[in-house]
Amino acid sequence: MALPASQSDPSSTLQLSQKAPLLLSTATPASHFFPLTLLEKPETPATWTDYERLFQACLRAGDDKSAHLCLERLTMRFGASDSRVMGLRGMYQEAIATSTEDLERILRSYEKILRADPMNVPILKRRIAIKKSLARPQEAISALVEFLESNATDAEAWCEVADLYHSQGMNAQAIFSMEEALLIAPNAWNLHARMGELEYSSVAAGTESAQATQKLLADAVRRFSRSIELCDGYLRGYYGLKIASHRLLENLDTSTSSTLSDIPPRNVISQLHDHASKKLEHIIDTRSTQIVHSDSARAELIAAQELLDRSC
Amino acid sequence: MAVAGMEQTINRDPALFYWILFPITIVMILTGILRHYASILMSTPPKPPSTPSESRERLALLRGIHLRNHASSTLSPSSFESRRTHLVTAYKSGTFLKDGPESRGKAAPNPMTDPAAMEGMMGMMKGNMAMMIPQTLIMGWINAFFAGYVILKLPFPLTIRFKSMLQSGVMTRDLDVRWVSSLSWYFLCLFGLQPVFAFILGNDNAANQMSQQMAQMNPAANANPFGPGQDPDKMFLAEAENLEVMEHYSILDGVEERLLRSQGVVLE
Repeated sequence: MALPASQSDPSSTLQLSQKAPLLLSTATPASHFFPLTLLEKPETPATWTDYERLFQACLRAGDDKSAHLCLERLTMRFGASDSRVMGLRGMYQEAIATSTEDLERILRSYEKILRADPMNVPILKRRIAIKKSLARPQEAISALVEFLESNATDAEAWCEVADLYHSQGMNAQAIFSMEEALLIAPNAWNLHARMGELEYSSVAAGTESAQATQKLLADAVRRFSRSIELCDGYLRGYYGLKIASHRLLENLDTSTSSTLSDIPPRNVISQLHDHASKKLEHIIDTRSTQIVHSDSARAELIAAQELLDRSC
Repeated sequence: MAVAGMEQTINRDPALFYWILFPITIVMILTGILRHYASILMSTPPKPPSTPSESRERLALLRGIHLRNHASSTLSPSSFESRRTHLVTAYKSGTFLKDGPESRGKAAPNPMTDPAAMEGMMGMMKGNMAMMIPQTLIMGWINAFFAGYVILKLPFPLTIRFKSMLQSGVMTRDLDVRWVSSLSWYFLCLFGLQPVFAFILGNDNAANQMSQQMAQMNPAANANPFGPGQDPDKMFLAEAENLEVMEHYSILDGVEERLLRSQGVVLE
């Protein structure tokens, strides 16, 4: 079975999970004894990542029975003491937990595992996730910081902590964490755009001085430009570029204090703004005629259309 | 010397063909496959760090390298400067060391007594042994049973230089180079069967990485940047020096104009 990689899109997750009973009804691997195993198709590393993906899709779609079956097979292949399988089992238990007490109990079991093996990365991450879902962002942040202390090259964790900081309104820390994530994956255009969003929203909070505001907006414009430079036709990048440059132009108009030296010249910003609007229109025109679309892509298109309508 | 234009004929028993040429080839292929699986069985994956401080020590160096390589494409000058200062002072004071700053200057553990380093060397030795022992055995077997047999005639002429390659173990000066001895056939198989193994076993790593794949989320984190016997402190100091001399430029400078130009907008 070859499964699509996209995980963030609800409709494709649902489609995938609906196929689960069919996929799982085929003979289990490693079900025969030695001479027969030679006749079977050899397992590839992709087989087991597919199982993992199927497991997650089933959990998201609420098909706990199929998810349990996936988990059973993974456990059969790699053993219950494998750290990754432990992480998946934890994910399953969290998903079927019905009350806060259940989650607390799972959290305690994680703590027990971690006392025995302090470097069990999947369980460390599950512990953070459970704290997040128990609505204790402060604890999640401190656990993440502790985790990052010893795993400083985990871009995923840096992004997570950036999101948490952002949700707590600590924008400077969020930007710092995002920069760390970018250092690990310097060409990830979505991270560049996310960085621009963080900078833009820290301006929207409106606590900065006029000069700092200008600098942050200019940085945001640069980040969005970079993300477009890395990925042509990146709708999110153009969207951000348009609103950030618009805001910066307004800010340049109203501010009485002298402008900073490293702000790009006014005409460049206004050209960027016009260019972004034009590109957005173009993208909406071409993409809305195509039929195949996931929900999230459609939502992005609608949002962009709305932005254009508002500014015209 | 073989006289040009005159065909040498040796009457060979066809049984030579069935009882020497085929057995040698088949045995070589089978041992190749056996060796492949033996090395998979014996290989030990790199040990993941067992404590948080050990993991930090390993990854601290990677952090410096990331900063050095990627800073220009991600960071603004001020945030680069603060990171550089932080990392350089931490490297120099030994904050990242596994046993804390106090353990600086202690001699690196002797790789012969350090069990972790010993394991790495054992791994290398196991690989070499898996290569050497079957070869020695098979060569002994061929030497004992088939020494001096001429088993094959190549269908094309060759120059005299190939004589030592094709007729090892046959001490005949006048024999045409086209005749191949059993020992030479062994050597030809030894060096020439790689594509056959690639065909049978697939790309070598396919089976090899299976067990490691589930080991951790990102396999790269498993690898230890410090080889056996290397002093992390020295490498940290070297990295600090690299960072200190590094010149920073930001790719974000002037990205607006660059973007406009690349998209075909004429600047006013």
